[in-house]
Amino acid sequence: MRNLRAGLPKKCRDHEGYGMKEFLSGNDAVAHAVKLCRTPLIAAYPITPQTSIYERLSGWEASGQLKGIMMRTESEHSAMASCIAASLTGVRTFTATSSQGLALMHEMLHFAAGCRTPIVMVNVNRIISAPWGFWADHLDSLSQRDTGWMQFYCENGQEALDTVIQAYKIAEQVYLPAMIATDAFFVSHFVEPVDVPDQEQVDAFLPPLDLPHRFDVDKPGFLMPVVTSEFYRHYKNAASTAMDSVQELAEQVDEEFRRKFGRGYGVVESLLTDDAEVVVVTEGSMTSTARVAIGDLRQEGIKVGLLKLRLFRPFPVRAVHKALCGKKKIAVIDRNCSVGGGGIFCQELKAALFHSKDHPGIYSYIAGVGGTDITPDVIRRIALKTLESSIPADAPEWIMNDEA
Amino acid sequence: MGKADPAVPVIPISYGRTQVIETGKWSSLKPQPLTMIAPCREACPIGTDIPLFLHFIERGRYAEALSAVLKENPFPGVCGRVWFHPCEASCNRAQYDEPVSIQMLERFVSSIKPEPVSLIPAPNQAPQRIAVIGAGPAGLSCAYFLALLGHYATVFEAKKEPGGVMRWGIPRFRLPKPVLKKEIGRILSLGVQLRTNCRVGKDITFEELDKFDAVFLSPGAGINSLLSIEGENLEGVWNGGEFLERINALEKVRLGKTTVVIGGGNTAMDVARAALRLGSKVTIAYRRTREAMPAIPDEIHEAEEEGVAFQYLLQPVKIRRIRGKKLRVTFQCMKSGAPDKSNRPRVLPVKGKYVTLEADSVISAVGEIVDLSWIPEKLVKNGLVETGGDPRIFAGGDAVAQPRTIADAIAAAKRAAISMDLLFRGNQGREALAGFRAGTKGSVSLDAYLRFREEGKWPEAKEVVSDGRINTLYFEKSRRVVAGKLQRDKRRKTYREVNLAPDEARAVYSASRCYSCGQCNACYNCFYFCPEGAIAINRDERTRTVDLAHCKGCGTCARACPRNAVIMKDMV
Repeated sequence: MRNLRAGLPKKCRDHEGYGMKEFLSGNDAVAHAVKLCRTPLIAAYPITPQTSIYERLSGWEASGQLKGIMMRTESEHSAMASCIAASLTGVRTFTATSSQGLALMHEMLHFAAGCRTPIVMVNVNRIISAPWGFWADHLDSLSQRDTGWMQFYCENGQEALDTVIQAYKIAEQVYLPAMIATDAFFVSHFVEPVDVPDQEQVDAFLPPLDLPHRFDVDKPGFLMPVVTSEFYRHYKNAASTAMDSVQELAEQVDEEFRRKFGRGYGVVESLLTDDAEVVVVTEGSMTSTARVAIGDLRQEGIKVGLLKLRLFRPFPVRAVHKALCGKKKIAVIDRNCSVGGGGIFCQELKAALFHSKDHPGIYSYIAGVGGTDITPDVIRRIALKTLESSIPADAPEWIMNDEA
Repeated sequence: MGKADPAVPVIPISYGRTQVIETGKWSSLKPQPLTMIAPCREACPIGTDIPLFLHFIERGRYAEALSAVLKENPFPGVCGRVWFHPCEASCNRAQYDEPVSIQMLERFVSSIKPEPVSLIPAPNQAPQRIAVIGAGPAGLSCAYFLALLGHYATVFEAKKEPGGVMRWGIPRFRLPKPVLKKEIGRILSLGVQLRTNCRVGKDITFEELDKFDAVFLSPGAGINSLLSIEGENLEGVWNGGEFLERINALEKVRLGKTTVVIGGGNTAMDVARAALRLGSKVTIAYRRTREAMPAIPDEIHEAEEEGVAFQYLLQPVKIRRIRGKKLRVTFQCMKSGAPDKSNRPRVLPVKGKYVTLEADSVISAVGEIVDLSWIPEKLVKNGLVETGGDPRIFAGGDAVAQPRTIADAIAAAKRAAISMDLLFRGNQGREALAGFRAGTKGSVSLDAYLRFREEGKWPEAKEVVSDGRINTLYFEKSRRVVAGKLQRDKRRKTYREVNLAPDEARAVYSASRCYSCGQCNACYNCFYFCPEGAIAINRDERTRTVDLAHCKGCGTCARACPRNAVIMKDMV
């Protein structure tokens, strides 16, 4: 590591005085974030490609560097149930999972949201079986779209680390759980320079938690008993209202983070969209590739912009309006397919833009499904194809070849 | 919980209990925690609650174990040694691996020191006075049970010390006398009056007994049957009863180098083994086959082990003194024929075939008969005591028509004591006894009777648990525990007890092998398996309470009970 670091440009080693950067995988970056947040209760069950988060935290627990409890549960369902119970006693909680593990949690995800517990979870996006596989695909977390969790899609390890810290701050104000999605391998296992903030900095940004004890072991009760229809409606409505406030809150927290740590992401990120004739919309790790592809296109004089969707739940309607209304065309790339419905991000964008008078033509592409590569060339093709088209098709276009 | 913070969302938490939902009312099938009769208890003529005292031994609760035994039997130390324990033969565990060592455990519990139990007679508003004739197993037991029922018993004993066959018949190497002394002492501590050296018909008249409210006749069978052959009165020819009495009185007896014992019952075995210990070489001559011998198999086996020789199918015809020194017994050789009334093969003489045995002493032990000279004729039938007519006269033991064992004598005494008490309370019918039976083989329980007397309710008849109703999946196969015996070569030289005492660890382990057929032993299976948490168990009292408001009647407890102590019953 030292040798590798020695070869790095100074910018990487010493980022604006915030300490030395480290070469870390996305999973290690997440583990660092959890440790920095002083999370006292971690309940998890190993699953590829999330396991190294669990391993790293377990290692720190064994060496005494991690203060708190690592619960080795017998399933992801139990892991989530443990987080819910612990969270209600007023402590910060964390879990990580992927794919089938997330699917197994499904029932408990609804409970976590219904119990209004500010649990933070990292889901390493892995294809959901069948067939069996381990590669990057967003369908696992998108399948949990309606569970009442916030969802953030991260471009790289640094962003994952920062988003974990931000997510606690947001979740603990609205009492809603937050899921941070990172792409299998492209984020989880790629090793990149990551700035790990100092503990004091994080403590100042995210003070040790003092949540109210809503569940008291000395006064046992039965959580979530049967309620009347009216009560159910009330609780759902309250959760919905809380979720509606998240976009603004997330922007504020990100802004505060930027001031303190020198990095920020926004709920969406617009790049070169002002004069763009087509805006490519991306999520997760494909964004990095798109940055390169769009840079190349711009050098050729082709007016292409980029919109990175970072927050997916709640869907950042206002930010999307601001970024896309008045544009001629957008090309939405979905690394997922809701069979029979097309790309899920595209559906969401269509719904979000429907009421705006000057919304762009929306072109839908499905690429990178099953962990296939989204190369700069794929993005280039998508951009050019959108430029050439006059009317968007109803059905998405599948990119079946990685190379031209 | 503190003050409600408006920023903190309220979530539904119920502090009420789901117990308000009385799911038990949804079904009519309910578990019935029962206590049934174990087959060992049914087989015990005395009706001792064997699973109960074994349970207490297992838990180390020895005082309660002894109490449980003493409720039914005043002689656990005796029965734990000298009786053929049919309980073990009927133990359900015998069908699975090997029976529980019940007799050994009875002996163990009787020898706990110091004695952890002091007996208290039940309160009785109208105590009666009862005369008991004969201080043998039956007489002493009857006095004991009467005392427990709150009556006054006076025991008349012709001999100088009480105990009957236990004192004068059974030798010390089978029943050490301090054991008997302790058990008789326990009976006397209840206030039983004992008059020794008082022979009815000589020291007092039978008519004098009239002043008592009831009489229990238990004179025993004290007269030895005669061989009725030539030479029976020669010097060196003994009768077995007289011989054993002198041995037990610690008198000096000389038999010479060789002894022939005639007979095949327990007395013959005791005689032979005692003779062996006097240094004599002993041969038992029996007129039937070994299979037909009435002695307890264990006793025959032990006699063989110690070196007693056996000769079968020999009927003595005469005894002569030869060369002025030795005795020569002439035997008619016999052969087996068709079975007789007692289902034993009849033996017939082999014409013209005789054998002789020579010995320094000959001891005959061919049975005992009852001395009836002092009893009014109306109470005699077929050479035995028969009380038919007079409701105030009861009888038991070897003098009546019943198996001549100590346990049967104790059982008869218990039946008589309860019958007397019922009589005094104006409850004439002796068939009332059926209400206190332990099983269907005639044993009655004093404990059940006392509870009836206290509560005034007739007990419900209880079923006997058959082997098929035990869930053997819960039991690991294991070997029966056997207590040690005195080394064989030592036995010939000493009167020390042959069967050694079990140590505590072996006794506790042995007790833990009991299935506890039909009786809760607080194994907690039902408690753990009940999906409703509707069963409460009192470990000490071994009582189970079912919360009927929440028991859904699934029957899991009945299925999970290894010992058939829960059954499902439709309450509609």
